[in-house]
Amino acid sequence: MKLFEYVRRGAWPEVVGYGLFVTLLAAGYYYNITFVQLGLLDLGTRLVGLPATTVSAWMGALALTTFAAAVTFGVLMDRRGWSTDLRTKLRALFAVLCVQFVLTLVAPQIRDPAAFGAWIVAAAVSMGVGFPVTFSLTVDFVPVRDRGYVAAAATAVAYFAGNVYPLDWSIGAFSRVMTVAMVPGLVVLGALAVRDLGFVDAVADNHREFGVGRFCRPDAVRLRSFAFLAPLGLMFGVFFVDSLGFLRIVETPALIGSSWQSPAFSIHLLIGVVHVIGAVVAGVLYTNFDRNWLFMWVFGLFALTHLLYTFDLRLAAAVPGLAGDAPPLVNPLFYALTVSFYTTLNFALWPDLSTPATIGTHSAVGVGFAGFLSTFLSTAVALYFEHAEVALISHLSLVNALALLLFTGLGLSLYGRQVYRHSRAGPADPADGPAGDDASGGDPS
Amino acid sequence: MNPIELALSLVLAVLLISAFGGEPATLQVVADGSHEFEAVPDALVVAGGEATVPANASVEGSVYAVGGTLAVDGRVEGDVVQVGANVSLGEDASVTGVLRVLAGDPVLEPGATVGRLERLEPTATDRGPVAAVATRLLQWFVVAALAAGVARRRPDLLDNVGAATTDHPLVSGVVGALTASTVLALVVFMALTLVLIPVSLLGVLAGIACVAYAYVGFGYLIGRRLPLDRPDLAAAAGSVVFMVGLDLLGRVPLVGGTVQLAVTVVGVGAVLVTYLGFSRFEPVELPA
Repeated sequence: MKLFEYVRRGAWPEVVGYGLFVTLLAAGYYYNITFVQLGLLDLGTRLVGLPATTVSAWMGALALTTFAAAVTFGVLMDRRGWSTDLRTKLRALFAVLCVQFVLTLVAPQIRDPAAFGAWIVAAAVSMGVGFPVTFSLTVDFVPVRDRGYVAAAATAVAYFAGNVYPLDWSIGAFSRVMTVAMVPGLVVLGALAVRDLGFVDAVADNHREFGVGRFCRPDAVRLRSFAFLAPLGLMFGVFFVDSLGFLRIVETPALIGSSWQSPAFSIHLLIGVVHVIGAVVAGVLYTNFDRNWLFMWVFGLFALTHLLYTFDLRLAAAVPGLAGDAPPLVNPLFYALTVSFYTTLNFALWPDLSTPATIGTHSAVGVGFAGFLSTFLSTAVALYFEHAEVALISHLSLVNALALLLFTGLGLSLYGRQVYRHSRAGPADPADGPAGDDASGGDPS
Repeated sequence: MNPIELALSLVLAVLLISAFGGEPATLQVVADGSHEFEAVPDALVVAGGEATVPANASVEGSVYAVGGTLAVDGRVEGDVVQVGANVSLGEDASVTGVLRVLAGDPVLEPGATVGRLERLEPTATDRGPVAAVATRLLQWFVVAALAAGVARRRPDLLDNVGAATTDHPLVSGVVGALTASTVLALVVFMALTLVLIPVSLLGVLAGIACVAYAYVGFGYLIGRRLPLDRPDLAAAAGSVVFMVGLDLLGRVPLVGGTVQLAVTVVGVGAVLVTYLGFSRFEPVELPA
């Protein structure tokens, strides 16, 4: 890792940059997965008194608005040159944090549907501005070599904290935790953004060395190229599968009460530890293998996880005496492993498909389309399923089928690409040696 | 009850009937709903729903409860086999044969009578010291023979596996651990479907082969350091040395088993990342 080299050399601004980036990314993601995704459900249904379907529709609107705001701001960042201006990015992030601090503080006081809607729009815009800015800090703080491990660290911290604390999924609990956690962030970011600190000047030009992503060498990846659109489509599928499955699991008391909302702290701790293991494993794989392997693992693990869920449901229906009082813990543990996998991939992928001149747009389109737009669509589908009274087993079977389809489709397309390459290369010359020397199938890129 | 669930239950019932030596000429199956039985053919299979033998009724034949609920308030002149279903015997109920409990917990009201109650209790077989030593020697011999054979014919395979083990232990360990845990879950759940038991057995055999190959890889690495000229003999001797060392490691309290597992996982990962040794593992190139 380059980090160890910096420590040996005593290059402390670079070392601090790692820590700052991991903290910002983990905190931003923790805010998104806990306060926004889980806290809003509680706020809308319990405190504002809206039906669950209306709250879900508002969540869909939040995803759509976030996507629009992100793309708008991401494009603006690249066109105005803010993507390469560290101080401007820190100022934008400080402004986002100030807005989110106020929103977090007032959220538990909301009782009116109109205020709830206004809160959601304000939160969506602030998140839409926040995540392309946060992702663009990769080019300033993280060398290409270390991106897999740094992404893994951010994933591990976010999910470990998200699972271990707080235990109660209520807007009040989330608000208290987030407000307290944001105060030191406000102080540090405020100081970096407003004061003329040497740290910012010391790392301001690092994007010249770190900026060009792993997949942009030797040629930069363009937004409309296959090299960008293919991972975009795959990541969309990953988020869609996850969201569609989890939306149903979270509404099934037997499944959620024995895992993510279990009263037992040990279960939360276990899920948190598995998240950390999954992130580390994904970091190692991302750094040492082609990204397609990670996609294969993600789809394969999703398929396996939902297979376990559906198998358990079928078994409980067919042979009730064999099913225990609570669903097996192995199911949420595999789920946690998979989620850590794709989150690590998501954190590292978009900066590696970008250069300093394109990171605003690429990360906004990548995370916005794959993450937020897919969430919007999966929410819509889940609402339709609920309206159509689709049974739990049918819902999860569909998610399982989708994961299997993507897994198989990816495998076949990678193999087909190799076939296409070999067919374009023409017949092998027997004088060159035995045929198939290059057909080891080892590199699925 | 959908056809897949019904098929699974019937497969289970047929296996049970065969296991307990039944040869029924006719069979009745309950899949759903509530049904009362005052008479049954040779055998009754309760796969779902609720089957009741009412008070004062006496049925002749065996009952296989693999799903749903079986409530006996009358008399069953035969055996009752419980695998997971809910089985209850009322206060005046009687089963003249054997109540076999393979999985589940039958509810027997006071006054209920059973010819004999048998519970399936898994028992550990304690092998004698001679058998244990013979098994271990056989394992060493098989791995040593494999090592000698591969080292003689395709030493490049072991070179590749060995290089992945020594040069990339973290990557090998991660791939090995991830593959082992997911394949283990797959194999167990395949076995639970019953129809995929052969596939899951194949998976177990493939896993054992992979572990043996990993041990051969370690043995080859150790063999290169032994004062033996012939590479096949060195690999065989190295394999035995490795396996003895691994056994001794397992006897170290607390950490021994964990280290043993970690070494095995790294070896299995090395076998996998090198495509069974056919390709040298090179991580993707990243800018300095």
